[in-house]
Amino acid sequence: MAEKELKDALAGLESGPQVTPTGAAPRGEPAATEPPSVRALRARFGAAVLHHTVHAQDEHVVYVVAEQLVEVMRWLRHDPEQCYDLLKDLTAVDYGAGRPLEVLYELWSVPLRQGLRVKVSLPLHALEVDSVEPIWKTANWLEREAWDMFGIRFRGHPDLRRILLPEDYAEGHPLRKDFPLRGRFSRAEQTRRALARADESSYTPHELAVLQVEPEPAAADDEGPQGAGR
Amino acid sequence: MGLTERPQLPVMGGGGQEASFLTTRLDDVVNWARRSSLWPMPFGTACCAIEMMATAATKYDQARFGMERMSYSPRQADLLICAGRVSYKMAPVLRKIWDQMPQPKWSISMGACASSGGVFDVYSMVQGIDTIIPVDVYVPGCPPRPEGLIYAFMLIHEKIRGEALKNRALRAEDPARVGQPNLPAAVIAEIAVPFGNSTNQNKPSGLLSTSAVSRPTDRQP
Repeated sequence: MAEKELKDALAGLESGPQVTPTGAAPRGEPAATEPPSVRALRARFGAAVLHHTVHAQDEHVVYVVAEQLVEVMRWLRHDPEQCYDLLKDLTAVDYGAGRPLEVLYELWSVPLRQGLRVKVSLPLHALEVDSVEPIWKTANWLEREAWDMFGIRFRGHPDLRRILLPEDYAEGHPLRKDFPLRGRFSRAEQTRRALARADESSYTPHELAVLQVEPEPAAADDEGPQGAGR
Repeated sequence: MGLTERPQLPVMGGGGQEASFLTTRLDDVVNWARRSSLWPMPFGTACCAIEMMATAATKYDQARFGMERMSYSPRQADLLICAGRVSYKMAPVLRKIWDQMPQPKWSISMGACASSGGVFDVYSMVQGIDTIIPVDVYVPGCPPRPEGLIYAFMLIHEKIRGEALKNRALRAEDPARVGQPNLPAAVIAEIAVPFGNSTNQNKPSGLLSTSAVSRPTDRQP
């Protein structure tokens, strides 16, 4: 790296993250040609498909209206021409500076060997979108993670709880840009809270229900010596 | 690595002029037995645990020190080796394991993350396990080589060698401290002041720019 380039990079480190001057979220190139999936989406849903960009030559991204997300996703999953039967990833990106969060759905079709990225923009004051858990079961934990890290509410999710952080974590949603890197509480307070945490907050409600059930002696005896223990 | 030279630590609570011949000889025997058959409780949470496993394996072979029996139950362990970063979610687990270990017990904080939080100066990470449990030996390194861990064993041995049964305070357990932070809140706040190892992270300490930080002397505002 040239010396000047290095100096500029170090100066950039000092000044911290910068907002891109246009105020727009980073976008890919506008695509010259649309892949079949995007053309079919436009033909079927029209105005629900906001725009389409391409990253790294062949990664196609489709922005969809949040209200029609589930409808679009169900069609992408079940239409024989599309058949996106695998939800590879579901996460969110906060571009900071008050710009809307983007929830992204990484789809892959195993039989047709094609991929598609669907994105939904959510304004910071209304972080709500319908759950796709009924379509792909894997979205259950992925949406819980997005809720945990970004505070996005997924309507219709069967069990929207924190998944990585403890259940009684009180400092908010840490991957948001407005979250301070070291957390909102002092280290002393964080340590105190961690050690004062009730054991119950490390278990799921289901596990707690199992623990609270008194073992029945007759049933335990039937299972033999292994089943008799706690 | 200086493994041939024995590290010298001060003798704790015994061995002075007033100690009688009988008690010092008894201390010698007890301490020999304790240091020759330490049972480690491996608390491996990250990459340091790989080096800890290498220390246990044939080449470095911690069985030479009577430590081949890794105790996966804290009830039968003497030496807690915390190898790797500890998150706040894991902190009560670490504390509970330490509380479950019977006296006499010692602990090693292995690697930069366990000792100080290391590069993980973030919302989710404990900034040094000495805020959670008492630590006898800190091993620097990221991760430390097995030689480094073995040197920590040597230091623990030397520490045990200097202990005296006469010193009751050394192994006293305070029930009120079970499950509590190891340090007072003010001390935790003080040692958690940022090192300035990442961008724009010095504001809580009153320093405004990364370049303003040299080393520990000017860490405090």
